[in-house]
Amino acid sequence: MKVDTFRSISRFVTSASFIYACLLFMMGLVLIGTFAQIEMGAFAAQRRYFNSFWIYADVRGMYLPIFPGGLTVGCLWLVSIVTATFTRMKWCWKNLGLILSHLGIILLIVGQGLTQLLAEETNLAIEEGETRNYSESSSQFELAFTETTDPVRHREIVIPSSELVPGRIIRSAELPFTIKTVRFFANSAIGMGTPSIPLATKGAGTELNIRSVPVTTKDDERNISAAGISILADNTDLGTWVVSPALSALQEITVANRTFNFALRAKRHYFPFSLTLKDFNHDIYPGTDIPKNFSSVVHINYPAKNESRDALIYMNHPLRFEGLTFYQASFGKNDTLSVFQVVRNPAWLTPYISCIIVTVGLLIQFLRRLLFKRSKTV
Amino acid sequence: MNETSASSSRSRLVKYLPAVLVLVFALYLISALKVAPSTGSFDTATFSQLPVLQGGRVKPIDTVARTSLLLLSGKQTVALEDGTSKTAIEWFLDSVFAGDRADIYPVFEIDDPDVLGVLGVQQNVQRRFPFTLLLEHMDDMRMQANLAGSQPADARTRFQNALLHLSEKIFLYQQLKATFQIAEAGSNLEAVTSFDAQITKMNGASLDQAPPAKEVRDAFQHRIERFQEMAKFSDLMPIPLPGKGVEQDHDWTSIGRALLARFESGSLNPALLMFARMSDTYAANDAETFNRTVAEYSSALKTMKPRAVGQASSEALFNNFEPFYKSMAIYLVVLVLAFVFWLVQNPLFNRLAFALLLLAFSVHTLGLGARIILQGRPPVTNLYSSAVFVGWAAVFLGIILEKFYKNGVGNVVAGMIGFTTLIIAHHLALQGDTMEMMRAVLDSNFWLATHVVTVTIGYSSTFLAGLIGIVYLTRRAFDKSFDADTAETLGRMAYGIVCFSTIFSFVGTVLGGIWADQSWGRFWGWDPKENGALLVVLWNILILHSRYSSSVKAMMMLTVFGNVVTAFSWFGVNMLGVGLHSYGFMDKALSWIIIFGISQAAIISFGYLPEARQKRGSDGLA
Repeated sequence: MKVDTFRSISRFVTSASFIYACLLFMMGLVLIGTFAQIEMGAFAAQRRYFNSFWIYADVRGMYLPIFPGGLTVGCLWLVSIVTATFTRMKWCWKNLGLILSHLGIILLIVGQGLTQLLAEETNLAIEEGETRNYSESSSQFELAFTETTDPVRHREIVIPSSELVPGRIIRSAELPFTIKTVRFFANSAIGMGTPSIPLATKGAGTELNIRSVPVTTKDDERNISAAGISILADNTDLGTWVVSPALSALQEITVANRTFNFALRAKRHYFPFSLTLKDFNHDIYPGTDIPKNFSSVVHINYPAKNESRDALIYMNHPLRFEGLTFYQASFGKNDTLSVFQVVRNPAWLTPYISCIIVTVGLLIQFLRRLLFKRSKTV
Repeated sequence: MNETSASSSRSRLVKYLPAVLVLVFALYLISALKVAPSTGSFDTATFSQLPVLQGGRVKPIDTVARTSLLLLSGKQTVALEDGTSKTAIEWFLDSVFAGDRADIYPVFEIDDPDVLGVLGVQQNVQRRFPFTLLLEHMDDMRMQANLAGSQPADARTRFQNALLHLSEKIFLYQQLKATFQIAEAGSNLEAVTSFDAQITKMNGASLDQAPPAKEVRDAFQHRIERFQEMAKFSDLMPIPLPGKGVEQDHDWTSIGRALLARFESGSLNPALLMFARMSDTYAANDAETFNRTVAEYSSALKTMKPRAVGQASSEALFNNFEPFYKSMAIYLVVLVLAFVFWLVQNPLFNRLAFALLLLAFSVHTLGLGARIILQGRPPVTNLYSSAVFVGWAAVFLGIILEKFYKNGVGNVVAGMIGFTTLIIAHHLALQGDTMEMMRAVLDSNFWLATHVVTVTIGYSSTFLAGLIGIVYLTRRAFDKSFDADTAETLGRMAYGIVCFSTIFSFVGTVLGGIWADQSWGRFWGWDPKENGALLVVLWNILILHSRYSSSVKAMMMLTVFGNVVTAFSWFGVNMLGVGLHSYGFMDKALSWIIIFGISQAAIISFGYLPEARQKRGSDGLA
């Protein structure tokens, strides 16, 4: 009975119609996901269509799943190929090409799935001469308290912005006070002037007008979160501050003889090493403003591993170091600022391997057919 | 006896006819392999080969003239109202050297009825208008362009886009006209020499001398402002700089900069005098002095910039030979001959078609090779060259098919795809210089040669399979001689090509991912262009799997739909950004793609018609 069920399932998922359905769903998804990018930007479209299990839509006021997302179709596809490869195909030399190409595709899909789940993309902007040991997220924020009581050793206590829910009180054993979120803005615009609704009672925010603006998903725009936080110590309210990455002024508080400065900032990812930008170059074609090349010379300093060397990062030649890859992404400030995209992707090698396996498999399969056919007709 | 000799001489004739035909065509082609000869008394041939720097690369003035005229008018010649016509280089000379002489030539192509309305012109057969007409409405145009320009790019109406497009053309024309116009009025040579003399005098003047009169100083100041303006606006750099060591591409400058450089260098760049004299003598219709100056300058350049001169004259030769245009014409003849073969079933026509196909392919290959050498790049660098290459690779596969099967199918599909892709390329060339420089990220010969070439071969072969599908479905429904054997052969051909496309589109797409991993840090970003390539791969995989469960006919219907998928990923995704950089051809191309899609759907529906052969059978029964 059990064997029969398994057999009928395996027959179903490897049937021609199931394979067609997977391929057609994938194509449909790719098509919709491509068109959606015009409106919502690449990043948001990717999350909605490809990095999801179901695509939800508003159907007459109800939020319903209307189309399988990339992860669902990918999983179904994977089930079908794995079943076909391991149960339906005869493992013999004759089928070597077929088996290899299917194994390669399995690896490719698994690798892409892992990438979508595990890969992290952050940014690193350094000015010439500056040294950095962290990269920053472009979409996530964190509330960071830096204890400066000891002027030599600063300590950081970090609260992700997802914890900043209005009304919630945040306690930390490392902080001599508690934090209560009064308001949170996923995206905000800050202007000078008296606020229409007073929020801050202390700090730089008292003279600023903060407005909530709709969250953007466009690729060339960024959200700027902001929050109003009250700090309480021993049941006394010390005041309400506005925090936002748009505020450049340092805000400080001293409680129980311990001094902290605090800010809402782009989420940081610290490296165990540091990078110094030594030089940035931006070449153009003679007599035009068409860019020819961007390149940066950085110095890597990793005392724990006794590494201290220069590296050149330029177009199509990223720096791969300690599981991170640094790509030349942008530049600014009259060619003295270089921006790198920093990617951590443990699965980055899978497409390289699977490409080779599939190609070899397809070549074996088609050449065998070709030669076999020819010899038959002769 | 007589009869046999007659028939043997006829068979000999039949045997050699293909060779004779190819020879005739080849002789014609060879005769066209030269730089465009001068038409009037002016030595336009030598002038057109002079090298200049524009858009980051050294090219002949010929290319500048042709691409500028193409951008303005969509054609490479100007048809005048009196029935005569002017070549691109003649038009260029009239525009840059002869003041306002070219203003009355109808070169501004305006299609939009609303823009014509602003100009007060009724829409009729005339599509190209002179600059003088635009001058009359310049203030209004400027205001309209400002209005349109302040509208965000994706929210502009068709009228606003068309108007901005026209104002770009006006800018281009005015920019071109100002390139060599050193004097505000009168002689350019006089302007250059008096400017030179003024500076010499200024440098030699001692302090106790009285300063020059205010008018003189003002006029001088005015002149410098004019040169600064020229330096700012001109993108054409015709003046060679004496480089150090190896000849470099950036050792060129514009007229304005060369004039201003007189302050530091202490002497006038001699090329300025040359161009000033050329322009004066051209305007004054003094062909003799003009020709002498051009010859003198050209021979001086040969010793100063041998590499640039060589490059420019090869490119001028290439421009005039128009290999793609010529092979396009021969592909059409191939197509006609192959159809005739199917109609009359005389193998002679198929042999003629094949012989000419080889010739057209050679010319095509020659053009492709010339581009690779001139540009120093792999064959595919932009949409234009992708069209040329898609055609080339598909024709190559078609030749192999014909060589193996000898049934005319290879000829038909090769002729068809060669002709169509070159027509498409011809229209894509209207967008400007087809050998433009590659932006930083794309500047990688390794990836251009691997990823781009492989994925483009994937496109060509998918189209080829689709064409075989078209042949199959059309013949099945309408050709009574279409039998099971033919069906099986076509099925084998299409399947082989689909296998080929699967490998190439898969490898090409994955290589693209690997390139993306190298340059942006992600293998796959679901970017429109990547998605387009993925669609082609998925569709080919689907066709491959269909063979295990469906009929040959069904597979053919799928391959025809593959044409739509490929056309979408080749062009469609480039159109997603409609409104940004894609006015003109791309707008028109969208409607062409839709028409193409409908036509393919119609052909797919042939699959639901009964077989032509069976129809005859049932007629017989009745």
